[in-house]
Amino acid sequence: MILELQNITLNFSGSKDSFRILDGLNFSVEKGRITALIGGNGSGKTTLFNIISGFQEGFTGNILFNGKPLHALSPAKIAQRGIGRLFQGKPLFQDLNLLDNMKLASGDSSGESPFSYLINRKKIDAGEQEKERQAIDILNSLFGADNKYTKMLHNMGSEFSYGEQRLISLARLFMGNYSLLLLDEPTAGVNPVYINTIRQIILRMIADGKTTVLLIEHNMPFVRDIADRCAYLADGRIQHQGTPCEVLDNREVKNSYLGIL
Amino acid sequence: MEYILHIVIMLNIYILLVLSANLPVGLANLLSICQAAFYGIGAYFSAYFLMRFQLPFIAVALIVMTLTGLCSLVVSFAPVKLKGDYFVLATLAFQMIVFTVLYNWTDVTRGPYGIPGIPSVKLFGIMSISGIYGYFILTAVLSGSVILLFRKLKFSPYGRVLTAIRSDELSVSALGRNPVHFKTWAFFISAGFSGLAGLIYASYISYIDPTSFTLDESIFILTALFIGGIGNVKGPVLGALFVVVTPEILRFVGLPDAVAANLRQIIYGLTLVLIMYLRPQGLWGKITLK
Repeated sequence: MILELQNITLNFSGSKDSFRILDGLNFSVEKGRITALIGGNGSGKTTLFNIISGFQEGFTGNILFNGKPLHALSPAKIAQRGIGRLFQGKPLFQDLNLLDNMKLASGDSSGESPFSYLINRKKIDAGEQEKERQAIDILNSLFGADNKYTKMLHNMGSEFSYGEQRLISLARLFMGNYSLLLLDEPTAGVNPVYINTIRQIILRMIADGKTTVLLIEHNMPFVRDIADRCAYLADGRIQHQGTPCEVLDNREVKNSYLGIL
Repeated sequence: MEYILHIVIMLNIYILLVLSANLPVGLANLLSICQAAFYGIGAYFSAYFLMRFQLPFIAVALIVMTLTGLCSLVVSFAPVKLKGDYFVLATLAFQMIVFTVLYNWTDVTRGPYGIPGIPSVKLFGIMSISGIYGYFILTAVLSGSVILLFRKLKFSPYGRVLTAIRSDELSVSALGRNPVHFKTWAFFISAGFSGLAGLIYASYISYIDPTSFTLDESIFILTALFIGGIGNVKGPVLGALFVVVTPEILRFVGLPDAVAANLRQIIYGLTLVLIMYLRPQGLWGKITLK
């Protein structure tokens, strides 16, 4: 198991009452597989991602990543340990061009100190060229040798459509050295052609056998198509898990989440 | 001629101040309203070192910039981790505290009497920069160098991270960069260069007192930044040019003597409002204030 969540509990405090969003949740993610996390709106899926990637404080329980605890690490440290994240509805950095968006995702952050560029410019320039070459290689391998994105490297993030920004945000994750990728609704708001491209990108992510994908999705045909495992989150716990067919054909999941009687 | 040179020297000092403010405000999304406090700290440290020691300009500059930068950590260590309104309040508090200390710690700062007789800076420890022509050349070289330096910083990998922090801090964290680290450096560098402006000001005017480093001065620096445009290098330079030169131009428009001072303030204020209304991103900015 690459990721183990043990007895995770989280309460959100309101003005009068506190609300238990996760209630002793236990969940494990198998290495090298695609696992889909499904559940209704407000069931705590994104909150669980926030807990894993260090953005949510105030929970109890243990998180083990490759057998080592993640508790109390900052989001940046967790990312450096190898957990990448695609946020729901967050596009590219709008004021950076495509190339800089890709470079910023690189696992090599040397040269990003304010003085290093002034002190050792040659080395930094060489590193920047290497990152550019890596970015172009990734774009070519994902979108084809003659793709439009390698010709738009200097276009600002804001100049791309939402769907394109989603594709590039996924492509950007190849720049880092991630062994676990948390993808929050990668296909939301994206047209069917791009959904197919996203499917291919996610399959490429796990192709090396070293990377694991945990994704949140409401697109059930997509989940059936791509996921190896599926977990259903409701009432603060994982209620069912198994293959996508087993979970999605479960009577309770059908009734309470999919609305099929 | 000397009047024009004086305006240009003050313009060069404000270019340093506004460019310094642009680093936290324009790039790192930290609305700092204590830039005048760093300007003042730099000026008072400079007065001490220039009056006590015969150090060359470079040495005094490095010492003052480092000490002023270290003072920025007082603000950074707690509130930079906090964000938005909390940070603004923390910088406001720092500004008020620094002014109060400069005004009331009379044994050290001479309080409202100020410090007179601050000597000129000495290049290489021998050649004293004196007179308006000397300071014109010194400040022109300095502001030109600082413009180039900040341009390099903006387009460096460090500038890239700061620009990304402005867009989306959470995503920057998720990509393995610690925004607090980058913001702290931005604030440190900004304070250091504001301190350098304080050094030039103190040695050029040869007298400092706390009223030059008030909250009004911090707001004046921010006004210049927002008018010029945040997030790039040309905007702050143009903003400094606007706020320093416009009031001087208004002196020569032939307003009746009895109401000239008040009318100049009204015209200046209206011009600022019009610019913000017609160009909310500033004269040369791309980023619109939120």
